[in-house]
This record gives sequence, structure tokens and C-alpha cells, in this order.
Amino acid sequence: MTTWFHSWRAAVRIARRDAWRFKGRSFLVLAMIALPILGVSALDLTVRSAELTPAQRMDRTLGAADARFTDAQMGGAAILQDPAGERNTPAGDYDSPGKSWPEGPTDVTKAIPAGSKVLTDSNGTAKLTTAHGLLQTEVRELAAADPVARGIMRLREGRFPEKNDEIAATTRFLESSGLSVGSTLTARGFDRTYVISGSYELPSDLTTEQVNALPGAFLAPYAKAVEKAGLPKPSISTSYLVKRAGGFTWNTVQVINAKGVVVTSRLVVLDPPADSDVPLYQKNDWVNYENGGGTDAAALAAVATVVGLAMLEICLLAGPAFAVGARRSRRQLGLVGANGGARSHIRAIVLSGGLVIGVAAALVGIVLALILTFALRPFLEDHMGQRFGGFTVRPLELLAIAALAVLTGLLSAIIPAVTASRQTVLASLTGRRGVRRSNRVLPLIGFGAVLLGAAVALYGSVVSDRSVLVSGGSAVAELGVVAMTPALVGLFGRAGRWLPLSPRLALRDAVRNRGRTAPAVAAVLAAIAGTVAVSAYAASRDAQSQAEYRATLPYGAGAALVTEEGGRDVPAVRDAVQRTLPVDVRADVSRVAVGKPGCDPYGEGEGCGYYEVVTPPANECPLWAATPDGSDPAEKYTDEQRRALTKDWRCRSRDGHGIHVDNGLVIADAPLLKVLGIDDPGAAKALAAGKLVSFSKPQVDKNGAVGIRLISDPEAADRARERNKPIPGEVKSFPAYQVPGSPDSYGVQSVLSPAAAKAAGLITVPLGAVFSTDRMPSTEQRQKFDAEIAKLGSDVELTLERGWVDENGLVLLALTVFAGLVTIGAAGIATGLAQADAEADLKTLAAVGAPPRVRRILSGFQCGVVAAMGVVLGSAAGFLPAVGLRLTEGREQMRSYQEALDRGWTDAGDVAPHVPIVVPWETLAALLVAVPLGAALLAALLTRSGGALSRRAAH
Amino acid sequence: MSIRHGLLALLERGPRYGSQLRTEFESRTGSTWPLNVGQVYTTLSRLERDGMVVQDGEDEAGHPLYAITDSGRVELRSWFEHPVDRTSPARDELAIKLAMAVGAPGVDIRDVIQSQRRHTVKAMQDYTRLKAQALTAVEKNGDRERDDIAWLLVLEQLIFQTEAEARWLDHCESRLIRLSSTAQAAGPEPASPGAVAGAAGTGARAAAGTEETARHRP
Amino acid sequence: MSTPQQQPVLTLRNLTRVHGSGATEVHALRGIDLDVHPGELVAVMGPSGSGKSTLLTIAGGLDNPTSGQVFVEGTDITALGIKGLAALRRRSIGYVFQDYNLIPALTAAENVALPRELDGISARRARGEALAALAEMDLGQLADRFPDEMSGGQQQRVAIARALVGDRRLVLADEPTGALDSETGESVLSLLRSRCDAGAAGIMVTHEPRFAAWADRVVFLRDGAVVDQTLRSDADSLLTDRAAQR
Repeated sequence: MTTWFHSWRAAVRIARRDAWRFKGRSFLVLAMIALPILGVSALDLTVRSAELTPAQRMDRTLGAADARFTDAQMGGAAILQDPAGERNTPAGDYDSPGKSWPEGPTDVTKAIPAGSKVLTDSNGTAKLTTAHGLLQTEVRELAAADPVARGIMRLREGRFPEKNDEIAATTRFLESSGLSVGSTLTARGFDRTYVISGSYELPSDLTTEQVNALPGAFLAPYAKAVEKAGLPKPSISTSYLVKRAGGFTWNTVQVINAKGVVVTSRLVVLDPPADSDVPLYQKNDWVNYENGGGTDAAALAAVATVVGLAMLEICLLAGPAFAVGARRSRRQLGLVGANGGARSHIRAIVLSGGLVIGVAAALVGIVLALILTFALRPFLEDHMGQRFGGFTVRPLELLAIAALAVLTGLLSAIIPAVTASRQTVLASLTGRRGVRRSNRVLPLIGFGAVLLGAAVALYGSVVSDRSVLVSGGSAVAELGVVAMTPALVGLFGRAGRWLPLSPRLALRDAVRNRGRTAPAVAAVLAAIAGTVAVSAYAASRDAQSQAEYRATLPYGAGAALVTEEGGRDVPAVRDAVQRTLPVDVRADVSRVAVGKPGCDPYGEGEGCGYYEVVTPPANECPLWAATPDGSDPAEKYTDEQRRALTKDWRCRSRDGHGIHVDNGLVIADAPLLKVLGIDDPGAAKALAAGKLVSFSKPQVDKNGAVGIRLISDPEAADRARERNKPIPGEVKSFPAYQVPGSPDSYGVQSVLSPAAAKAAGLITVPLGAVFSTDRMPSTEQRQKFDAEIAKLGSDVELTLERGWVDENGLVLLALTVFAGLVTIGAAGIATGLAQADAEADLKTLAAVGAPPRVRRILSGFQCGVVAAMGVVLGSAAGFLPAVGLRLTEGREQMRSYQEALDRGWTDAGDVAPHVPIVVPWETLAALLVAVPLGAALLAALLTRSGGALSRRAAH
Repeated sequence: MSIRHGLLALLERGPRYGSQLRTEFESRTGSTWPLNVGQVYTTLSRLERDGMVVQDGEDEAGHPLYAITDSGRVELRSWFEHPVDRTSPARDELAIKLAMAVGAPGVDIRDVIQSQRRHTVKAMQDYTRLKAQALTAVEKNGDRERDDIAWLLVLEQLIFQTEAEARWLDHCESRLIRLSSTAQAAGPEPASPGAVAGAAGTGARAAAGTEETARHRP
Repeated sequence: MSTPQQQPVLTLRNLTRVHGSGATEVHALRGIDLDVHPGELVAVMGPSGSGKSTLLTIAGGLDNPTSGQVFVEGTDITALGIKGLAALRRRSIGYVFQDYNLIPALTAAENVALPRELDGISARRARGEALAALAEMDLGQLADRFPDEMSGGQQQRVAIARALVGDRRLVLADEPTGALDSETGESVLSLLRSRCDAGAAGIMVTHEPRFAAWADRVVFLRDGAVVDQTLRSDADSLLTDRAAQR
């Protein structure tokens, strides 16, 4: 053991000094290893620093308080909660029929023990006027300056509000609003004016646009003003920060839970109870979402794969550098052998080279990561949107990362080490050159891996239809191909016969010196294979998604719809559309409202209702028609019947594409038909005649009319629905014109003219504009439009049909560039090594009078040959897995399609899934032709034609 | 080198008598160049005739002392300054012997060369050992340094001369081997050089064997 | 100087080495017998291609004989495996080549300590032995110099120190003066000579008779066989007698 240690020390000493002596090569390898290490350790530092301790988390949510009391909205019914106060459920059993889930607010203050110090913390939203327009902003009423709240908000400038007409704002709000401390601030529809007294930030959420006011200073008066204007008042949620001597233990929390109040207690979070003491976890139907072990394992496997592949790639790139190092110091290794160094000592010396570089790379990478993370902390915090809890260094994790670097260094040096140790001392000393017999075991292992991987992939693709097996098998096979590279490179040698002199020389040289060629080719192979696999797969996916693409609107058409606040901003939106976009036809659309005009379309809020388009019972799809006993109607049918029924006209449901309009009913005039591309003259005529134009046959009853039920009391309707009783509500019937054929109406099922709606006594509310353009709006126009909309501060649903857009383009380009760089890098390294080896020959050539360009030409071809071999092998190795994966996907999709048909899912679509396989010709061409050519030219350009004449021959 | 100049060189250090000159001469040249007293006195009288030395009194024992003159000093300087005359090469017995051995029936030229080489190298070994001793002496004896260095130089001259001979022998051997192989290529001869070489090899083995036994003899 | 009663450090018995086979067969060595005793320096001379270097590589276990035996300190090394040979080179045999003998990454002392360290001795002890060896050969001032800070002659002398560090007492020198000028070569040889006088055994391959003359015995090789050898006989020279009189 000590013997082993002592001789390793000598080896490390030699390796260390050698690394120092050949700084260029050492630096190259060091950088290759250190860069990823820098990235990974910086990531680790950032993630760990951003991760908060429970105490820090509590400081940020509770300030100096002991607990936060929140209404569970269970109407005061007893609840069960988790220790963190993040999830809760009613304590009682509400699942049995007849019992309805508890609902409604409760008075939290009653649950607060006497003698506590309490701060209210209320949240609401308001549209605030900014320098640019309006901004929907969170308003938080909290006495932020109170010592109890200290820690929740961090003051950046000025002070927290002290008077009722003062307000503080987050730095982010000031940025996006263009206001600053000292500015005045108003809200839309609210006559009070506030002065911004200071700015602050929420340490855990730097991106929030929020303003802070004293309790009662903003939200309540604002709600009153809004309500007066007939608009829905903002919802205000209030929680209570409670400070009490002794804090709140888990038992106290449970007692308070009985009153329907959720408690986030510092004591409990810092010292959580055992799971068995948490009744919530003991509840039968409780699913603990956090313990999704499967996803963890999958993520871990993915990370391990990525890290493994990255290490492999680095090893393959760095390996040749160690190989050339070992070769350059052959005489030295021979001397060690002559002085009694056994093979293990020789191996140790070359391996130590990897160890030294690995350790240095780990040190450099981690130290740089520490410095960078520390120096760039403010930028990182801004980027992540939260302040770090502290600068957290986890030595064990950094040590593991360092170990990774050392391992990479060692692995890179392992093959050169074995090769060097196999040479006889005599050959090393005399420096005889010659073809070294390449390792025969590795290609065999590789071949085995290829067979195994292919078998797994084939099994996955043909028998089990699991794409995980296909990609896993492909990866194994791919590694096998990498291991087989030396043998494959040998095959290329045979092709040399037909080449002209210079490339033949280069090819022969590459094949004869597989020790340095193979790792470089393998590195290229791995990068190219990955790129080709991803490109082929992505290109095929693109082709599929292009084929499956369903437009939302006719090409070039757009829609801007607003449902907020009773369409108050619609005129402005229509105006913005007209002004900023190249509009051809603009159709102003409205919607039907039930109850007050300010209501949203879903009947929520006081005095609000909704409507529905009645489907006559005769037209209901038998697969969906409600049954009196509430059972699934589809159960009655066999697979064949279901398949037949999905083709039935009653069962054709509208698929999800198109613009989103409530019930598919739009109040608009004829221009809408034009925008939608409905050129049936009957439709326009019928619309003008006050008829309802229908695009959906089932909604038209046997009398040719469509019924619209106005439901003014949603709760009564819900009750009726639960009991399977007719739904109360006035039904207005409109004579309908069913558009013949089945033109694509883009989500619109019925169109009614405003005049007809008014005549029938329907309340209509402006919804927005649907428009066609004479040309596709430019990016500038779109940006201008977006800016106009942003000024309104409204939630505008904007659609602009631009046809199918390739989303993978950039990723593919980046991948291609990456693979190209790896190829050029690997080929460059191999060429450098070849040059070092061929120095003697080149000198001889020069001495016998070869022109200087011979050196350039030769190095160009050497580089090109390596790149070409890697690219050809990589393309072949990468294309096949992509094909396999696509075939498997095709089979998977086909199967689920058939299954859906059997089940009678009508939205399975009309056509069987089409899973095409597309060859990414552009990427392939770039990789197969441009990259080797570029590599060759680059090498030729960068080679000095003169060459170094004075070099010590023996070293 | 001439005795004349040697004596002048010794006299430059001060007046000396005849037999004293002889002793010093021998000690300087490491006994490699034996002189008799008659030679010394003949040379001295010739030098006196040419005006390069003069008789200059006697010592206590009555030996006549000789001293160098100015013209003697001039002659000595010009001797030091001029290279040794190589116009008349010495006839070397070895060269003549080898020339005779080539083509002589029943004589293996390689054996002739080897036996000469053994002799030469052996001589070199001896010279080298003396030289090693001289080197040690030079390092140790400061006062007699001048004599020791002179002795060292003489030894080295001998070594280099012997080496030249050894190298010349090497050269002769390889040239003769080359000539015999061209002769073989030219046409078959009754005594083929291959056979000669083989015979020489076995002969040498036998010789080596005898040497071994000789060495082990107590 | 040789004392036949002592067991030889190196013994070659009927050593044969054939390179290649068939038409390209070359007999590099044909039945060599040789003993080297402690305190003896043997020079091997011969024309190029006579098998001088092959003899040396086989004696040091860097190459295997086709037939015959090699005994180092009484052990038949032809029976040893690769590991055994490496250990033998660490413990019993030191090599000195024509040039670039030293590992450029190591200082003189570390170079000398290398065989000991490879043998598993602690770095401190190995360094101590190395410094002692260097001091003994008057090379102490070179201890912390790197090879590229030393002259060729200094490098060769350090190499000799390395060849004899620890318990090693067999030096195999292959043209140790080949890359040096005459004067420097002599100083290297005089060191080798003095080490042998102090009890080591040495074989030196050289083609320069002047350096071979430092040996106790000169062996002449021709076509892979020993054709002749000289002994240094004390009674063989007039000069010696004269010198003795002085």
C-alpha cells in the first residue's frame, strides 16, 4: 500500500512538471474540463444560494410575526392542513351524496387568540395610471413599517407610507410604470391621488409589480368607487400576521384549524411534526404530490445521461491530447522503464497527467465559479427574480463536482496510459515508429454494445412500443459505435486506393495512427450523431405538426377580444387595431350578456348570469346524452357501434381550433362572414334578414330555429342540473339559416346581427374586433399594436393567424453550429497531433525540395479526413435512432387513435395520425459537406508553411 | 621534436650541466625518449658552435654549466611558433606488414589486424592507467605540477597516437571486408570470403576461449 | 584488479539472439559467454552491427535472448516475467545511454532518487540516498538543477550516479561518451572507472578505443561473436617499469 503510494508520488511529480513544461497543451485540456465544471459549480452555488432555509422563508412571509392566519374559505368548517399551511381540506366527509362542499368566508379575527399583536395584510388589484398608460397592479395593504412586518418587504428608497395618501411601490413597478419616488399616482375611475413615498422589493419575488398602502387607505375606497361605476369590484383577500409570546405550536394550529382558519406558523415550519402527527396525511384519499418518486428518478436519469455524455465528449476530445503527450515523452517513459519502472508505473505517469489536469481544472473551475457567483450575485438575483438567502457553499457538492473533473481527466488519459505502458522499453528508447496494434477488446465490446442496444431498441420499437426503450437502446448502440471507431476507421483505409495523392497520404496516415485518429473521430461521431438524431427527429416532428396544423382564423386574419369590465376598453382596442394594423375588413363583434352589463361571460359575481345555446334532445349525440340515473351513456354500446356513432353528424363536436367565443355565438354583421371567408350568399342575406346563421347542425331544431336559454340565476341552474331537472331560464328562439356544406367557421357556430339581438331583447356587450388584413402585419406593426394595448392595461385576447411557424428552427441551428464546432475542434486537435508526428517527414520533404504549401495541403487533408470520417459515421449512427423513434411514435399514436375510436371519443379527429419521417437535408448537407470542408480549409490556413526547423529531436 | 630544442627549452629556465640536462629531459618526457650523455654533450657542442649556448662557469662540483644565448632564445621561440614538420612521413612497419599480408597465401588478414589491434588497445590500456595516476598526481601535487603536466601531455600524445593506429586498423578491416565482398560478387573464387569470415569467426571463438582460460589461471 | 574468487555480478552463457525469421533472419548474437566481476569495467568494441547494443539490452533485461542464459547477481533473468525484470532494473541494474539520460521533468536529485521511489521507498529516504550518491561523486552542487540546466557531461555523471544508487552495482553503459567532447568524455569515464574501482561492475559499449582503454578488459565483437579480448597486464609495458622507478 505504501509502496504503491510512494511510486504514485513520483509519477504525479513527473506529470505535474510535464504539464507545466507543455503549457499550451495543458491549457487546452484544462479549459475543456474546467469550463463545464465552472458552469456546473456556478449553477450549484446559485441554486443553493437561492434555496432558502425554512427560517429565511418564514422571515420573508411572516416578517417578525409568529404566524399568518388565512381564511380557508370553508365557511368556518373545521379543516385539516399540512404543517407549512400550503394545503388544506375540510375535516369532515363531504363526498357522500347530498352533502355539499363547505364554502364561504369566515371571520378569521375570531380565531386569533387574545393578547396577540395583529397586522392585517390585504391584497387586491387596481388599474393604476402610469407614465405610459394603465397598468394592472397588485395593491397590498400592510403596515410595512411596523416592526412585526419587518422582513417581508425590503425598503430600497424613501420610506414606507405613513399617511393615507402615501404609497410605496416595488422597484419593478417603478421601472415598468416610468414613475419614480415623489411622483403622484392615481387609479382609473378613482378620484384620490397618492404620492409615492418610497420604493421596496419583495425579496422572494423581485418581478412583482405591487404597491403598498396603509391598511384601509386604498382598497376599500377604490372598491366603492368602482362599484359605483357599475363595474365588478376587485376581490380583496386578507390574511393576518399574528405575533404572540410563545408562538403557535402544532397543537395550537390544529385547534385553530377547527375554526376553518389556515395557520402558517414559524414554530411549526422550523420544527415540523412527524407525518403521523399530521391528520391531513392520514386521510384516506390524500395524495401526497410531493413524493412523485418516478419523476425524480426520470429527471435524475436524464441529468446523469447528459453529464455522462458531456464527460464522454470531453474525454474523447482531451484523450488525443494525452495521447500526443505520452508519445512526445516516449523517451522519458522509456528511461523510466530502463530504470525499473514497471508497466504499472508507466501507466501511473500518464494517468497522473490526467489526474493533475483534472485536479487543476477542478480547482480553477470551482474557484472561478465562486468568484463569479459572488461578483455577479446582484445580476443573478435579478435574473432569478429573488434575493439569495445567503451565499451558500455546499462543500460536499462542490467536492462531488471536483471529483467529476478529476474523473474526466483520468478517463481521458486512460487509453493513452494503457497504450504507452504496452510499448516495450526498447521501442520507447529507440523511438522506433510503426503501426501500433490497436486494442482489439474495445471494438469487440463496442460491437456487443451495438448489438445489445439495437436489440433493445428493436424490442422497444416492435414489441413494446415504448419510446424510452428505443432511445435508451439507441444510446447504448451509439456508445458501442464510439467504441468501435478504431475498427471503423480501419475500414476507411481501404477506400484510399482510389484517391489522389495528397488525400491518400492523409487518409493512410490517419488510419495507420489510429491511436490519435480514433478518439477525434469518435468525438466528432458522438456530436454529429446526436445532432443528426435530434434534427431528423425534429424535422419529422415539424412535418407532422405542419400537417396537423389547424388555423385559428383564415391566413392573415386576426381577432382582438376583451371580456373584462363589460367591454369598457373595446372601442379603444378597435381603434388601435384600425390605426396600427393593415386592416382590410374589420368586423366589430359583441356578445350576449345576462344580468348586469359589467359581468364576465361566466356568470360570476353578484347579479350576473349566463346563457347557453340549447341543443334539442333529438339532436343530442347518443354517446353523450344525459341519462336519468347519471350513468355513462356510452356504456350501452359495443366498440363497433361507438365507431359508427363517432361518424354520426350529431356527434361531431367542434374541435378546439379557432377563436374562443362563448357558446360559439357572436353578435356581428355581414363583414364577419367575409373575414371568416364564408362566401355563401345565403348566409349574408339571412343575417341581414334578422335570422341566426348557424354553422352547427345539431343546434338547429326540427322547426329550423335555434334556442338561447338565458340563465339569470346560476345557483338555481346548478341545483337543477345536479338533480337532472330542466334548467330554469327564459329561452329565446331565433329562426336559423344553416350554412350548407361544412365550411370552416373557426370556432364560430352562430352569428346574429345586432339588430336582431336588440329586437329580441338580448343585452349585448361589445367584445372586440375580428379583422382581415391586406398583408401580414410586420413585426414593427405588431409591436406598436402591443404597445397600444399595454397602455390600456386591459386583458386583451389577441390572435393573429400567421400560418404554421417552425418553432424548432433556432434550436436546430444552434445544434448544428455546436456539432460543427465540436467537429472542427476535434479534427483540429487530431491534425495538430498528426502534424507533431509528421514533423520529421515534413522536414525531410522540405529538405528534398517540396514547396512549402505541401505542409498546408497535407494538414488540410488530415483535418478534413478526420472530420469527414466522423461526420459520415455520425450521420449514419444518428439517423437510424431517429427513424426508429419516429416509427415507434407512429405506432403509438396509431394505437391510441384506434383505441379512441373504439371508445367513441369523437374528438379523435377524422383522419388517422400521420407520422412522417423527414430527412433534414439542409442540416445533413451542412454537416456532411460544409463542416469537413471548413475544417480542412481552416487547418490549411492555420498551418505555418515554414514549419519549426529547430526542435530538440529526442523530446 | 628535436633534442636540440628540448635542451634549449630546459636551459631557458637557468644554466645547467650536461647530465643534469639528461635527467630533466627524461623526467619531462616520462622516460619515453631515452638519451645517453654522449648525445647530450654532442648536441651541446653543436649548439655552442651555432652560438645558441655558451659555457658559463662551473658549479661547486666542477661540472661545466651551459647557458642559453639571445640567439638561442630566438631559435627556441621560432620552434615553439612553427608546426612540426610533416614533409617526410616516418616509414611505419605496420603499414608495410599489412600491405604485404594482403594476398599472401595462408594468411588471414583479419587475424593479422586483430592481433595488432589487441596489442594496440592493450598498450592504450596501460597508457590510460598511467594517465589516471598522473591525473591524480596533478590534482594532488601542487609543487611538482609542471613536471606532472608535461608527463600527462606526453602520455596523452601516446594515447592519441595509439588510437589513431587503432582507428586505422578498424578502417583497414572494414575496407578489406568490403573489397572481399565485391570480389565475391565479381565471380566465384576457390577461397570464398564467406568461408574465410566463418573460419575467422570460429578461430576467434577459439582464441577467445583460450583467453578466458588464460585469465582464469591463477 | 579482478578477483576471480568473487561471484560475478553479470554472467552471460551461450547467449544467442536472432532478429526476424526466414529470409530476413539476422543473427545479432551467436553464443556469447562473458563474466563481469565486481570492481571490473569491461569495454565492448566492434564494428557497427556486431551486436554490441543487443548484448547490452539483453544483459539488462530490456530484450530477451533467443537462447542462452543471463545471470545478474546469480539470478537467471531470462526466467523472469515483465514485472520481475522491471524490479530487477530498479534494484540491480543501472543504465547509462549516449544522451538524454535524465527525465527532463525531474531535478538531478529526483532523477537519481527515481529508481528508489519507484521501488516504493519513501520520498524523503530516496532523496537522502540520492543526495548521498551525488555527494560521493562530487555532484552535490547539481542536486536541484533540472537536466536542461546542466551540461552534457554533468548529465552523464548524474546518470552514472542514478545507475549506482541504492544497492545497485551493475552499470550498463551504451556509448556513454558518444555525445561529449574528448575532455568531458574523459571526466565521465574517469568517474565510471573510479566507481568500478570502488567495487561496482560495469559494461560499456563504445567504438572509441581511447575510451575503451579505460576498461580493465576490452572485448572485441564481430558478427555477434567474441573474437578477441585484452587483459590489462601490469607487466606488459616498459613504461610502467620506468614509471614505477620514479
